[in-house]
This record gives sequence, structure tokens and C-alpha cells, in this order.
Amino acid sequence: MPERLVTVVPEDGIHARPASKFVEAANEAAADIRVGRPGEDLVNAASMLSVTGLDVGPGEEVQVVAEGDGAETALDQLERILRTPEDEL
Amino acid sequence: MTERRLSGTGVTPLSGVGRAVWYAPDLDTDDPPDGGSIDPSAELARFESARADARAAIEADRERAAEQVGEAEAAVFDAHVQFLDDPQVTAGVEDEIDAGAAAEQAVERTFAGFIEQFEASDGRMSDRADDLRDVRDRLVRALSGADGVDLAALPGGSVILAERLTPSDTAKLDPNRVAGFATVAGGRTSHAAIFARSLAIPAVVGVGEPLRDVEGGASVAVDGVEDTVVIDPDPETRTAAASDDDHERREAPATTTDGTSIEVAANVGTVADLEPAVESGADGIGLLRTEFLFLDRSTPPTEDEQYRAYRRALEAFPDDRVVVRTLDAGGDKRIDFLELPDEENPFLGERGVRRSLGPDASLFETQLRALLRAARDFERGEGGLSVMLPFVTTVEEVRTARETFSSVAAALDVDDADRPEFGVMVETPAAALLADAIVDHVEFFSIGTNDLTQYVMAAERGNGRVEPLTDDRQPAVLRAIQATVEAAESEDVWVGMCGEMAGDPDLTPLLVGLGIDELSMSPVAVPRVKQAVTDVRDADARALAERALAASTSDEVAQLIEAYRS
Repeated sequence: MPERLVTVVPEDGIHARPASKFVEAANEAAADIRVGRPGEDLVNAASMLSVTGLDVGPGEEVQVVAEGDGAETALDQLERILRTPEDEL
Repeated sequence: MTERRLSGTGVTPLSGVGRAVWYAPDLDTDDPPDGGSIDPSAELARFESARADARAAIEADRERAAEQVGEAEAAVFDAHVQFLDDPQVTAGVEDEIDAGAAAEQAVERTFAGFIEQFEASDGRMSDRADDLRDVRDRLVRALSGADGVDLAALPGGSVILAERLTPSDTAKLDPNRVAGFATVAGGRTSHAAIFARSLAIPAVVGVGEPLRDVEGGASVAVDGVEDTVVIDPDPETRTAAASDDDHERREAPATTTDGTSIEVAANVGTVADLEPAVESGADGIGLLRTEFLFLDRSTPPTEDEQYRAYRRALEAFPDDRVVVRTLDAGGDKRIDFLELPDEENPFLGERGVRRSLGPDASLFETQLRALLRAARDFERGEGGLSVMLPFVTTVEEVRTARETFSSVAAALDVDDADRPEFGVMVETPAAALLADAIVDHVEFFSIGTNDLTQYVMAAERGNGRVEPLTDDRQPAVLRAIQATVEAAESEDVWVGMCGEMAGDPDLTPLLVGLGIDELSMSPVAVPRVKQAVTDVRDADARALAERALAASTSDEVAQLIEAYRS
């Protein structure tokens, strides 16, 4: 299953605007996306509650896994969101 | 009557004084609406319709917040829509209704679980619980048909007291009518706090139980600098707190105790940021990023479109300097229609002026034409438009770009008097080391400390593993700044700073001591840095800068700054 390991750049971590953009992109993707800390349980990336509930801070590494149509494209976009500083999102 | 002081967490570096008004949204969900039997399918339909109403209300608030507060802040409401539509919320409410609950209780119980879970952790997460409460309250209001209290209709000069304020409450506050607010609960990173900062409303949160004893109608001073709420303030406290209300005072240029004038300007990233910048009392714009004109679109903006945006910036600051940075594409800034190449290391690749003099040459000329037309057409008081090149590393780049600039100006018949200043952003070690040669071709420098620190220290900001290396207090960074300032002084051109370092009031004495003429920052930081400037004693600041330049570690620099403050 395609996956990525990404170090989170935005200063809010995966909260607020970055979280919002991330969940939006996960909802738009045809693939099923899950996200979490490597080695821990992954959660549904299309759920704002679950994604915010991870409480990921800046500089932390997360694993993003996609299954289904357009998995790689979706991962490219999600990775980009996590790598973009907040004021440029 | 003697004054009583309560302490909390100041979230805005401002103070205000006024009459206490308790804000207690009444949301009673204890009893089922009719006490009779509940029809699950009817309750589900009620929930769906409430969800649609809540969504419409959030979207309306989002639109208003984008206009009045700013696009970045308004984005919190996108998160609210996502909470509203969250699969876990929908499933939870449906389960509760199936089990026999009315829609109100189903919403209440479902959210209670998530709120508890968020509050169990600390910091950011518990502040996000306020977002959940906000969404829950909207749903409950939509179900019960109750209107929220209209915070926009409070009497002028009110100090709002509340258990907590949700983001949507805060976004409705009118900074001209509200003297401040204080809450029992809440933290610095809550969205309510962020809105308060953007709206420049004095605010202290997390005061705790003692706040509940304050009666409505009492005279209250809220001081976000001292982190205090003062009940029945003495005349001196009142006067001190009220003076911060004075917009004139905020707008006054900042001078040190010895009379050295330091321009405190705002960084602006979109047209929507202009109003908060003006409100902050900034002495102009030290960095107008123009990428917003180019992002999220499939074709480049036209010259006229750009011209209108630049004019709006000039009109917002008719008597002040407005520094516009030309397009900084590449690096981490992806512009869809440019089809930027895949580079192994985009931060060391074709970005900024390298693209403007290469593949984006015609885009660069269009942008310069729009800028020069705006400078020519707009009748100005003092100040003026300044054009700044990003990511400069060689003298040839500056010379070539300047030739283009001059030929565009000549073609447009721009008078010398209207011709914008031409300068460069110093954000690479090369530009700092070569500043004494570059200075012959420019009218100003602005030091972009975010990138400068990253490139001087060869350490990526945001990469937790190398974080200590990305500290602005690194002596190598200070020496790069010093080289730039020396070059500027030798030719008598001004030198500004527009990175995050400029907005840190703890560093203001050091930067003034180093000889920086202008500091540009996020509008929120402007009042605090202005205050920091007025506290600076020139001789002490120079001595601090000399010692910091002689320091060999960032710890030493931090200690010197700490010693200066105490």
C-alpha cells in the first residue's frame, strides 16, 4: 500500500488551518487515507476529529497511507500540505 | 473603594477599561422538547435540518471574518464545517437518536465525549475543545430556534466577562465598541485569543473562579500586558489602561528614550491583511508579499489586476512607505501555472530573482509595470513605494534587474520624484557577505531573517532535529546582520528587517543597537514592538549589540539579552 513518512512543518502542527486543508484534501481524494504516528494506530484522515485528536506538533513525523484510486497523487498533495509553512498555505 | 487585581493570561498586548457585561449564552438541553415520545426518524430529520442551518451560519461567519479579521483567521471556520460533517459526529448522533434521545441530547452527548477527550490533553488540544463547543452550540441553537446573544449590539465601552468565548463569539466583536474581555477559562492558543489579537481587543483569559464574583456593571480594567483584570480600578490604573485605547498613541512613530526613530512596519500577505495592518498602528508596510496574486490559479494575473492590488496597499498607507517584494516563486512556493521544475533541492534551486531574470522574465516585467504605474498614479504624502528583489546572491543579478526596472520606468514616463526606491532582500549568506558591493546599486536593504538564518546555519526551519541551530540568536546570524548594516551605513542607505526576528520584542534592543532602521512584522506584534522601542536606551542597546557580536555561542547571546532586560 503506498505510504509516506513526512515531518510536519506548519508551526501549529496538524491543527487549525493545516489540519483543515489536510482533511479537505483527504475528503476529496478517491482513495482511503489513514494517518498517524509511525508504529501507532492510524486514523481516518477524512475525519477532522480524528486528525485533530492525534495532536501532532511541528517537527513530528507522521505516516500517511493511501489505498485505492489515485493513491500516489493524493499522497503527493497531502505531503505538500504537511510540508508547507503555515503562512504560505 | 480599593481596587482588586485578578491574574490571568494576557492574549493581546493592549489594555482597556469599561463596564462589565456578563455574556452567558443560555443553552438548556436538559429536558426533551415536548416530554412526550420521541420519533427517531423525525429527530434525525431535525438533526439534518439543524446541520444545514449550522453550516449556513458558519459559512456566513466565515465570510464576515475573512473581511473584517483576515483570511488566515477565518480559516478556523473551515475546520468548524469539518467538525460538523465529521463521520464520527454523524455516527454518534445517529446512535444516540436510535437509542431514544431527542436530537438536542444526542448532539450534547456526542460532543460531550469528544470535548472531554480533547480537554484531557493540555495546551493546543484543550483549546480546540472550544471549537467543538462552538459547533455544538450552533447545532443546539439551530434545533431550539434560539438566537445567540448579539455581541455586536453591546453598549459601547463594555468589558465582556464570560465563562469562555468561542471563536464565533469573538469574531463578532466590534473593536470600536468593546473595551476588552476576560474569561474564566481558555488559553493563549485558542481561536478566540487569535481573533482578539487580530482585532486588537484587549483580552485576558483563564482568570479562573474569582472572575465569577465580578458583578455586571462593575468598572473593570483589562490589561493584556500585565496579565491582570482589575476590578474598581484606582484613577491611575484607569488612566493607564484607557490610554491604550487611544489609537493615536498606537499610531505615533516609535522613538527610543534618546529620540532615535525606528520605523515599525507590518508584513502583509494578502489584500485582506491590509486592514489589520492599519489597525495595528504600523508605520507602513515593510514587506508586501506578492505571491498571493499568483497562487491557486491557472493563468498569471494581468497587469491591471496587479495594479489594483498595489494601489489598494498604497491607499491603505497613504503617508507611509510600502515595500513590495517582487514574485518569489520556487523554493517552497509553488505557483501552479509556472510548472516549476522538479528540483532535487528547491531551496537551493531556481527561486526568487533567479526566475525573474530567467524563465519568468516577462512576468517580472509585467509586475514592474504594474508597480511603477501604481507609484506614478497615486498621489502620495510622505513615504513612497519601494520595490524589493527576493533571493539575491550576486551583484550581476541586482544590476540586471535594476536595468529592467529603469527601462520599464522610462517607457512609462515615470518622473524621478515618483520613481520607487529599489532595494534587495538580504536573505542569503552571499548577499550579506557582498553587501558592501551590492549597496552601490540599491537604496535600501531588508534583512529576511527566516531564510537568512536557515541558509547561514544550513539548517531547515521546522525540522525538529536541527531546531536549536535555527535560533535567531546564533552569533553567526548576528554577524551576517552586522555585515549588512555596516555596508548600508557606509553608503547611507536604510536597512530594515522583515523576518520573525523583527517581531520579537525581547530582541528589539539588540536590533536597535545593531543599527536597524526599520522593523517589519506581523501586525499583531506591532504595538508590543513599538512599546519595546520606546523603552530602549541607545547607549545600552549599542553596548548589548557589541557584546552580542563578540559572543561565541547562542546561549551567551541569550544570556546577554536576559541580563539587559533585568
